[in-house]
Order: sequence, then structure tokens, then C-alpha cells
Amino acid sequence: MRQTLAIFLDAYRELNARKLFWITLILSGVVVLAFSAVGINEKGLTLLWFEFPSALNTTLFPAESFYKWAFVAFGIKFWLTWAASILALVSTAGIFPEFVSSGSIELLLSKPIGRLRLFLTKYLAGLLFVVLQVSVFTLACFLVIGLRGKSWEPGLFWAVPITVLFFSYLFSICALIGLLTRSTIAALLLTLLCWFGIFGIHATEMTMLTFRERAQLRVEALEARIARLEARLAERAAASSDQNGDQADPPAPDRDAERLAADRQKLTEERSTLASLRKWHAGIFAAKSILPKTAETTQLLEHTLLSVTDMERLRGRDNTPDPMPSGDIRISGAELTKRIDKIQRSRTVPWVIGTSLAFQAVVLAISAWFFCRRDF
Amino acid sequence: MQAAQAQAIGPTDDFVIDIAEASKVYRGKVHALRGVSMRVHRGEIFGLLGPNGAGKSTLVKILMTVIRPTACRGSMLGRPVGDKAALRRVGYLPEHHRFPDYLTAAQVVDFFGAMADVPRAQRRKRCGELLDLVGLTAWADKRVRSFSKGMRQRLGIAQALINDPDLVLLDEPTDGVDPVGRRDIRNICTELKRRGKTVFLNSHLLSELEMVCDRVAILVQGLVSSQGTLDDLTRDSQRYDVIIRGEPPPWATEAHPAPGRNGATRLTVHGAEPDAVQPLIDRLRAEGRTIIAITPVRESLEDLFMRAVTDPTTGEVLAPGAARPRRANGEGGAA
Repeated sequence: MRQTLAIFLDAYRELNARKLFWITLILSGVVVLAFSAVGINEKGLTLLWFEFPSALNTTLFPAESFYKWAFVAFGIKFWLTWAASILALVSTAGIFPEFVSSGSIELLLSKPIGRLRLFLTKYLAGLLFVVLQVSVFTLACFLVIGLRGKSWEPGLFWAVPITVLFFSYLFSICALIGLLTRSTIAALLLTLLCWFGIFGIHATEMTMLTFRERAQLRVEALEARIARLEARLAERAAASSDQNGDQADPPAPDRDAERLAADRQKLTEERSTLASLRKWHAGIFAAKSILPKTAETTQLLEHTLLSVTDMERLRGRDNTPDPMPSGDIRISGAELTKRIDKIQRSRTVPWVIGTSLAFQAVVLAISAWFFCRRDF
Repeated sequence: MQAAQAQAIGPTDDFVIDIAEASKVYRGKVHALRGVSMRVHRGEIFGLLGPNGAGKSTLVKILMTVIRPTACRGSMLGRPVGDKAALRRVGYLPEHHRFPDYLTAAQVVDFFGAMADVPRAQRRKRCGELLDLVGLTAWADKRVRSFSKGMRQRLGIAQALINDPDLVLLDEPTDGVDPVGRRDIRNICTELKRRGKTVFLNSHLLSELEMVCDRVAILVQGLVSSQGTLDDLTRDSQRYDVIIRGEPPPWATEAHPAPGRNGATRLTVHGAEPDAVQPLIDRLRAEGRTIIAITPVRESLEDLFMRAVTDPTTGEVLAPGAARPRRANGEGGAA
């Protein structure tokens, strides 16, 4: 325990000595100030003492929900998981290359502490940067939301473990590359590359999911329309058969019958497209399953803080049609978003965190194996 | 298994380091060590010397668990080599050490003390004492980044002693240190020995080692070329120089007469014991010759070292660096 505390204390002192740590903290302060400058009232949005009339106001969206949404959308999704995480990676990428550099590692390995424990403790100490940054930021946001939104929301502090978890996925990759290459630049750049790769796969999966759900909605819309047409034609056929009993003239060609035939043809094509999209999505989803879920992990906070109702309220006036309409099949953009949101919420916490932690465990196991066996 | 190993290389009570057949083959098949056997007695100052790439640092790193040996039997402080628990009683100063430059001198000593599992109260007490010992008291609260090479070396010695070790391994401790600092480090080594500690010195500075070491080992191309006390190692080369006034006596041809300063003559008698020179003295006195000086002469450590690193068959100095694998005809081996 004494050695563990010493490593953590050393990590804290190292952070204290890094300018980037303080720069990031100051930037976090600026973000919090900006966050506190934005408000909402019954007329619309406010910025300092200026008012901007908007459909987004407290009659539609309670102030506390607005602040929580703003905290998640900008504070967490933009600042902590993008900008601050890049700064954190820049600041911590050198930890392992410096740790195993000649002259430093001999001093540590010659102490009565096992290599595995030394490695894992150093790894956890490396997360201290993010722990401190997120804790300070979340505490400041907690106070802002409490004072401005009159809502003291302890759930906000879920941001600390969730953001640290998110960063730990990247830091495990950074540690492995740092150990293998002993280069800070290589560790930083390759980790960023992996991160963007993971994000790319996530974005592809989301795009495929959107296409799939859009195709699904189109199939459903077509099926409904075909059913309506069939019913109408059946009604008309029944009516004409009654009339035929009186008059023996054959029925005239009907526009509905033509549309029905065209829709049936279109339905066959749409079903084929849907099947193809399902297959593609399943493949990408399988690939994504073994990778860390950076985006979904941060979304957990959104799901924790904002209910489905909150999100629906936020999209409440959204009657916009599908942004990618085609032909005469019209689907609702809001319905599409709702479905995708539902699917994302259906991805359980054990799946999101479990598979990500499994990936992290594998990366750490490789790093630890390498560290324990390597001659320095 | 470990007991069997210890038994195989004899009792270990008197030895703080007792290793046999230590070998290390790096990837690329470079044989850094090729079966080193070495014993370091308790309470002595032991010097390990050898040319660059002879395997000195590899051997020290194996003892300190920084490098895993390809093979190594034996023990350090009564525990098998590689056992982490033994390191609680060991202090170590690596050759090219680098301390975190954001820490102050006191924080460095405290941090490595904590890593050596020394209780906080003990660390606090010893930190001040050690910084005083190495002359860094005034720099205790200054960051290491402002330290000179010599000051870092002094700090390295302080951190190596924080756990009050029974065995101290110092790899090039006087590297970058001024003459005053070197004398201080020699004094520290002597003081440690006086307190019953064992000091293992790895150095290129033969004159430094000669002044303090009780025993030395010379490592050449991954093998121990010679090992023992300086007296033992130089016994064959010991002699007495007898300086007399005037011409050499005609009967003294076996004493290799050679002209000395101011018309004097130097006669040489080989042998470590003073008895060997007594007949010559008696005869010179009987003839009434004036004896100016009788000086016991021993081969210097540098001479010994040069002899060890010279190929006796060719007279050439052996190439520096680790040994390549022996070929079938035995070429490529060490002296």
C-alpha cells in the first residue's frame, strides 16, 4: 500500500508540474463560465443579460432538464470527451515512455515491488489527470446547474466514472504503444489514430443503423399503403360486384390498382434493400462489438441524466420529414430519430461497458505481459 | 529447488552475493554473460571492473531484477537471485540514472524510500541524515532539474541508502563527480563498511577502486577473468626494489641491476614475502655498500586490468564489447 500511495503521490506531483494540466484546468473553467452564461426562460434562451426568443423555452423544456442537456451535449460530449481528452492524451502520452526510459526504470524495478503491480499501479495513476479534471469540471457544473437551474442533481457526478472509463480505453492503448515504442510522439499519434478508427467504425455503424431503420420505416410505410390500397380496392370491388349484379359491364382500369402494383414492386425492392442493409449492419456491429464503445459510454450519461420524455420534449416540435426523402414514400424524421434513440438505449450497460472493459483487459494483459518479460 | 541450488554452490552465510554460472544471451544472440561465478563477502567493499561491454552492468541488473538471466544459480542476501523480497535490504544506484526532475531532492529520497517500503517516520528521519551525508542539505527543497551531474550522483547515493541496506550496489558512483566529491564517496563507502554493510562498486576508475576495495573481480567478454584480493591477484608480480649507492656488485646479475638516479643502482628481487630479499641485504651490508631504500612493489590495479584484457598469445588488447557465440574451433571466446 505504501508503494501504491507513493506512485499516486508521484503522479500527482508530476501533474502539478505539467503546464498542460493547468492549461486544461483553466480551459475547463472557461467552459464552465460559458456554460453559466447561457440560460433559459419562458421566452427562450438567454446569454448573459441578452434574450433570444426561441421555441426552446421553459414552457416546453424545464430549466433543469435544459441545463442537464447542455451539460451532457457540450460539457461532456464536446469538451470532456473530445477537446479535454485530446489534451489529456497529449499530457499523459509520455507517462509510459518516460517510465520505461533508461535510467528511470532501473530505479523502480530494483525496488521490492512486483512488475505486474508496478505496471498496473502506474496505469491507474496515469488516469489521475482525467479524474482530477473531470471532478473539478463536474463540481463546477453541479454548482452552476444548482444555482441557475435550481436543480441539485447528484447524478451529474456519474460524469466522473463514465469519463474516466472512456479515457481509460484510450489510455490502455496509449500505454501499450508507449511500452512498445518508448516514444511519446508514437504513443500519442497512434492512440489518436486508434481513437479515430474506433470513432469511424462507430459512425459507420450509426450510419448503417440509420439507413437500416429508414429502410424499415419505408417498408412499413409501403406495407401500410398497400394495405390501405388493397382495402380500398376490395371495397370498390365489392361495390362494383353489387352494381354488376344489375349491369354486366366490366370494371374500368383503376389508378389505385396501378399504384398497388407499383407499390408491390417497390416493396419487393425495399425488402431486398432492407435485408442487404441488415446484413451489412450486422457485420459492422460485430466488428464494433469487440472494440471499446467510446461514444456509447458517454451516451450512458445522457441516458442516466435525461429521460426519454426529456429527449422527446427537446424534439417535441420536430415534425420535419425524413431529410433524405425518396419517391413518394414519406417517413417522419422524428420517428426515425426516436427509433434510433430507442435502439441505442436498448444497448445495455453491461454490453457497452463489459465489451469495452474486455477490450481494455486484453490490451492491458498484452502490455503487462510485455512489461513483465522485457529486459530493461 | 532453491535450497538445492544454494547447497550446490556451498554455504551462503558469509556471502551476500554468491552466484554461479550466470549467463545472459540477448536477442540477436549476443552473449553478454557466459557463466559468471562470483562471491562477495559480507562487510567488504567489492569492485567489479572490466572494459566497456564486458557485461558488468548486465550482471548488476540481473542482481537487481532489471534483467532476467538466461541462467543463474545462487543467492543474494541468502535469497535466490531474482527474489524481490531481498531487494528490501539492497540499495542501488544505476549508472545512468534519471530522477523525476519535478521532484525536489528531499522528495526524491522520500519517493524511492517509499518504493523500498520504508515506513514514513523512518524515511523522514533518514532523509535529512542522508542529504547531510552527501552534502545536499542546502538543496533539499530544490528541484532536481537544477542539479549538476555531480549533485545528481550524490542524490543517487542518498536514495540508495534510504532503506539502510545491508548491500549497496553502486554503478559508476563517481561518474561526473569532482575530486572532493569522489573523496566524499570513498569516505561514504568506507563508513558503510565500518558499519558492517557490503558495498559492491562497479567502476571504470581503477585508481578509485584500488583505494577502497578489499576484493575485485575483472570481467572480460562475459567471463570473470580474475577475482580475489588485490594482494592475491598481484602476488606473482610482487617484488622488492633495493636501491644502492654506486655501481652494481658483479655477483648481483640475478637481481637485474638497473641504473637509478644520481649514480644509484636498482636491484630487484621477485617475491611477495620479505624473506626473499634478506640474503641480498645481508651480502650488500657485508660488503659495506650503502642501501638507500628497500621498497616493496606491487603491480597496480591498472597493470592487473591491462593484463586481464590483453590476449596472452597475441599481446593485443581484446576487442571491447560482449562476446559472440563461440565457434566450434573455440574462436571468439574471451581470454
